[in-house]
Amino acid sequence: MLPLTIAWRFLRTSPVQSVLIVFGIAVGIAVQVFVGSLITSLQASLIQTTIGSSPHITLAAPKDGDPIAYTDLVKRVVSSTPNVSAVVPTRSISALYVRDTDRIPLTIKGGDLATLNQIYRLRQRTVTGDPTLKQGQIVIGLDLAKKYALVPGDRMTITTGAGTQIALTVSAIVDLGSSAANLRQAFSGPELPRSELGYRADQYSAVEVQLTDPFLSKTIAPEWRTRLGNVKVSDWQVENKDLLTALNSQSASSYMIQVFVLVAVALGIASTLAISAVQKTKQIGILKALGMADGATATIFLWQSAMLGIVGTSLGVGLGFSLIAGFTFGTARSGSGFPIVAQPGFIAISAGIGILVALLSAIIPTRKTAKLDPIEVIQNG
Amino acid sequence: MAEMLVVAEGLGKVYGTDIQTVALDDVSFQIEAGGFAAIVGRSGSGKSTLLNLLGLLDTPTYGTLRLRGVESNSLDKPGRAALRNKLLGFVFQYHHLLPEFSVRENILMPVLISEAPIDSEVEARLTETMDVLGLEGLGDKNANSLSGGQKQRVAIGRALMNRPAIVLADEPTGNLDTENSEAVYALFREINREWGTTFLIVTHDQDIASMTDRILEIRDGRLEQDVRNAYAPRSG
Repeated sequence: MLPLTIAWRFLRTSPVQSVLIVFGIAVGIAVQVFVGSLITSLQASLIQTTIGSSPHITLAAPKDGDPIAYTDLVKRVVSSTPNVSAVVPTRSISALYVRDTDRIPLTIKGGDLATLNQIYRLRQRTVTGDPTLKQGQIVIGLDLAKKYALVPGDRMTITTGAGTQIALTVSAIVDLGSSAANLRQAFSGPELPRSELGYRADQYSAVEVQLTDPFLSKTIAPEWRTRLGNVKVSDWQVENKDLLTALNSQSASSYMIQVFVLVAVALGIASTLAISAVQKTKQIGILKALGMADGATATIFLWQSAMLGIVGTSLGVGLGFSLIAGFTFGTARSGSGFPIVAQPGFIAISAGIGILVALLSAIIPTRKTAKLDPIEVIQNG
Repeated sequence: MAEMLVVAEGLGKVYGTDIQTVALDDVSFQIEAGGFAAIVGRSGSGKSTLLNLLGLLDTPTYGTLRLRGVESNSLDKPGRAALRNKLLGFVFQYHHLLPEFSVRENILMPVLISEAPIDSEVEARLTETMDVLGLEGLGDKNANSLSGGQKQRVAIGRALMNRPAIVLADEPTGNLDTENSEAVYALFREINREWGTTFLIVTHDQDIASMTDRILEIRDGRLEQDVRNAYAPRSG
């Protein structure tokens, strides 16, 4: 492995140049790892906050206001589909909370706590109180509570669509992740909507479904539409196009940053190797005169870039992890933000790309070396 | 009858396509094994072009060159590189050592290039080479830390390491003082005599040329004279 030995000696005899380029690669890869993980985690956090506690697919009657029958067919289709994590049939009523001159429209979902928790995670989201949903109790959102200084134990009177006034006790205040939901969404036990709506035992306002991966709704919803026929199947992705556009734009900007960082790294390595190739022209010429084949001399710079790429990328991955740890520690101390979760697959791909970019950067010096005529060197001293 | 190591027949080299320059024209000669010859000529006479052809660093435009029976035109670039490594040793005007390597590694370089294992036979050859050249104890030193004379001896060691049939020396004493020049000449003579290595020395130094057994004079790209030098001193 003479070319490998020569490559190592070349790097060792130019330590400052070698260290600088290794750090250049390391910083580039660290930025790549950090920015990639940051954006991925930010998006995961955003998705969790926005749709983590809401249905990904909702089954309802074709006409608004009509009940959907939770038939065996519906049960069979839903349960036979992989990646379904929660199925919650709900009954909802619309009501008004009148306070002074304000009239706040509320949507009250009724059900027992264990069933509602599968999607709405009321226990985890409780800010204050105990989210029991006994008869006569209501769980309200944070914004409504703040606006009207409601605390657990307070009584609030609502007016249903039929005009009935019902007095309820606030059992808990929950944070549902968005101010719209926190103002207008409320939860009660199963009795309230059932008595108001007068549905049969198998009739519900909607069947709400969560998936293990929210983005699978794009394929599952059309399939259910075909299999269920006369049922309205709503996909969160269709109803949240703005959010998806924002997420896609964020991904695009992240890719742009990563591509430019990699281009900068590639240019850095390529220029250093090109300088190195010029500096070592004499040695390459001598080696060729002594009988080293063009192909073997060309691999010297390939080995150099491989070594620089592997060392630089390894350092970069380490540095990237340190940045992630530092960021997570900082945001945890300040109590804001979200943890960045390092994605092993993404980091492995970043490392692979880093080494590949380093190898591609060797193309120019490698070609230059292969073409070098030893006569030029040995006759010019 | 001695083996003809080098057989050049009608050798020519023309550079350029639109404007052609004839660097070497119709040069024919033979060098027998164990020969000790000088190629002389003025600057630009074509002697370096001839050396490049003999060293398989370049290919002739016309004519043929056979080195130990192998027709150079029949070889591709890697083939020429392999034959150069095996059959030829180079000594340049500038020592051209690799500063990234030790004296020992520089001398071993032709063996390393050939990817032959560094076994006891190679080690013995290395020791013998370093002894002959007076480089004992310098093996681990960096090639750059030596004096000019020592560097040239290391370069000669490198040329001899594969025990080549032919050593091509291009102005080997051009950069040395008189004392070191004479020492290099003495060394060449000794190796020629002891090991039977053929030497072809390109020089414009008449004193060095006059000490070889045969002088080939190149003028304007043509072989002007090819004389046997009966008066050359046969010992170092």
